Amino acid sequence: MSAPSKGPELVIDGFPPRRARWVELATSADHKDLGRILVAGALGFLFIAVVELLLMRLQLAIPENTFLDPVTFNRMLSLYGATAVFLCALPLALGFFYYVTPLQIGARGTALPRLGQTGTWLFIAGAAVLYSGFLFTPTEAGVNPLPPLSGLAFLPDNGVDAWAAATGLATLGFVLIAIDLVATLRRLRAPGMAWRRLPAFSWAAAICSWLLLAIGPVMLAAIAMLLIDRNFDGIFFAGDAGGSPLLWQHLSWIFYTGAYMLILIFAFGALAEILPVSAGKPLFNRGAVIGSLAAIAVVGTLAWMQNMFTAPIGIGWMYYAMVMSLALIVPFGLVFFNLIATLIGGAIQLRAPLLFAAGAIVVIAVGLTAELGHAMVALGWRLQHTTDSTAATHFALVGGGVFGGFAALHWWFPKMTGRTMGETLARASFWTMLVGMLVAFVPLFFTGGGEGEVIDAYKFFNGTGVSGYNLIATIGSFVLAAGIVMTLANALLSREGGAPAGHDAWGGDSLEWFALSPPEPHNFDVLPDVRSARPLRDIRDAIAHRGERAERPASESQPVA
Amino acid sequence: MTPHSPGTEQIDTLLWIGFVAATILAVAVIGGLLYALRSYRAERGAEPRQLTGGRRIQLRVAAVLGAFALVLFVLSVSFTDKAEETPATGPIGLRAADSEPLKILTTGQQWLWRYDYPNEAFSYYKLVVPVDTAVELDLVSTDVVHTWDVPELAGKRDAVPGKTNRVVFRADEEGTYFGQAATLSGQAYAAMRTAVEVVSPAEYEAFIEGSKEDIQAAQDRVVGLIKKGETP
Repeated sequence: MSAPSKGPELVIDGFPPRRARWVELATSADHKDLGRILVAGALGFLFIAVVELLLMRLQLAIPENTFLDPVTFNRMLSLYGATAVFLCALPLALGFFYYVTPLQIGARGTALPRLGQTGTWLFIAGAAVLYSGFLFTPTEAGVNPLPPLSGLAFLPDNGVDAWAAATGLATLGFVLIAIDLVATLRRLRAPGMAWRRLPAFSWAAAICSWLLLAIGPVMLAAIAMLLIDRNFDGIFFAGDAGGSPLLWQHLSWIFYTGAYMLILIFAFGALAEILPVSAGKPLFNRGAVIGSLAAIAVVGTLAWMQNMFTAPIGIGWMYYAMVMSLALIVPFGLVFFNLIATLIGGAIQLRAPLLFAAGAIVVIAVGLTAELGHAMVALGWRLQHTTDSTAATHFALVGGGVFGGFAALHWWFPKMTGRTMGETLARASFWTMLVGMLVAFVPLFFTGGGEGEVIDAYKFFNGTGVSGYNLIATIGSFVLAAGIVMTLANALLSREGGAPAGHDAWGGDSLEWFALSPPEPHNFDVLPDVRSARPLRDIRDAIAHRGERAERPASESQPVA
Repeated sequence: MTPHSPGTEQIDTLLWIGFVAATILAVAVIGGLLYALRSYRAERGAEPRQLTGGRRIQLRVAAVLGAFALVLFVLSVSFTDKAEETPATGPIGLRAADSEPLKILTTGQQWLWRYDYPNEAFSYYKLVVPVDTAVELDLVSTDVVHTWDVPELAGKRDAVPGKTNRVVFRADEEGTYFGQAATLSGQAYAAMRTAVEVVSPAEYEAFIEGSKEDIQAAQDRVVGLIKKGETP
């Protein structure tokens, strides 16, 4: 016989927050908190990247300009490249994956939350290292710091070391988040959530996570070699001592090419959620879309030598890279075809997310078709290293990362905050961005493909036929920047002031719309049985037909076993 | 930009092929998207058709795309092979003893190109070559990676330390062609330009002789100063 309890039994509804909100956030291992940190950080660095781009465009507005000196320009260029890839595009994609995927598969969290937490804070540490380098001597080695220029002999200050440490920390963080996502997707799917019923965006998360597990360590190895070369007399990239500068090119291009594919797969994954729901239809040829995304990850990354057509490598390797690049026409084409076919015959509600999604398709299509010329070997000798490649890369990656990322932002913002982003401002932002994108980057096709203006140069000369184009491009970049800032402002203002969204803001098909907006810390109180790829639609149907079922005569009902 | 070498003529044709191919694909995607967005709004009041797709249409689309990629691949390989070929020296070109191209060692260094001609003459920034003559540039670098690019005469190639890369061309018209280094190589990268002066074979011979004499005279002067005990 136990002793009777001393007082009345205490029943409480949840625990009151014990610490300040920011302490909770900073110590949280919840995928939703970490996803929001990644997305918010990425959008902040998007703003910084835009400022750096504008400074460079100002320098390139008129011929032989002296607005920025060459050293400052090269620093801007290097910071812009690292910021856009490592601090903006990749964390934006991973942030949405990390926030949405566990909700979509009906998990109450992630499998390895401390790994995701470490990864997120490693990304922040990387950002801090890169921009604290700004206080002393940022790197001047360019977007991809090729040895020997990035070696100690040519850039002896510690800017390149800061770049290597920063991108290394961030890449390590992304790999840890990818491990958590892979484990979560394998272990924590809700009952009935078979792989064949997994939402397309979660499939994209799985593909991108595996891709990061393949390419992330390659970049980490290259960065480690660079740091050893610079600080411990290494010879990995020293051509005269048994190493090779080309080794860095191979390793870094494997990563950059894979990351390029990752950003596009992320965008297509988000579009494959937005388009079907906005059209009231299922994704057309779901299996083919997901298979194509996986093919893009593999074949696209294997095309890394497409970036090295001018390097001293054998022509056979160039043909190999061209086979891989041109083979991408099939999976990319199938994704475009099926996304558009999803809209055909639908009942399209053209809200802000679909507008940005459509913009992403247009801008990515321009970028990828422009890349075709860079893949055709002899034409690559003409077009690579010119502003034509600046334009093609920006169309593909701004299309994927910014237009696609903003589509995802407008789509999942109601889930993250419980509020919808302002529709009027979103539309104004979209059209400004689309016009700005075309005016800023189409002229660079003409300067690069037509006049051969070279990439990364801090100035261009009078009488080379590119002055008019460059002025137009500078004006366009300001329009693009204005459009981007409008959406960033919209997100800031709508966090508190947006219209309440409800839990299922768009009439979605997947399980994240079954959770509250914003979701509870444990995501779901109960989970429905998943019986198709569109579980939420099944529930709506069941509710709509509940009455009919009750009225059925007993003779029609199934016998009870 | 007008091509002035057999190789760049091939590249120029390929540029138009690539442009047409890119335009076809981009117009198909954007046109299809705009058509779908205009025609299937919820406002028209029709119920969305719950189509999940079909294997047959998917295979057909994949086959068309695959055939498109295959055609592009075959065209690219054939034009690239022709662009890669070392052209033969033409009838009004420099008459070499054998049919070997005129080999010029081209050295990239921060931020200047140095050209070493076969008979010990050399020049900086300006490359002088005879018209209608096959020229092979052997690209090397003494410091960082540079890219040699004179788009009217040849496709661009990297000069990488420890490796030798190769550019071949045969200029078909006398004149000066400008180019600019195309890989970021440090502070003065944007000013790292080059000019290729295409002249008649006689003028080329004269230039070589003249620069050899100039170089010899400069060396004699330095040696003379040193012998007199002065610093040059």
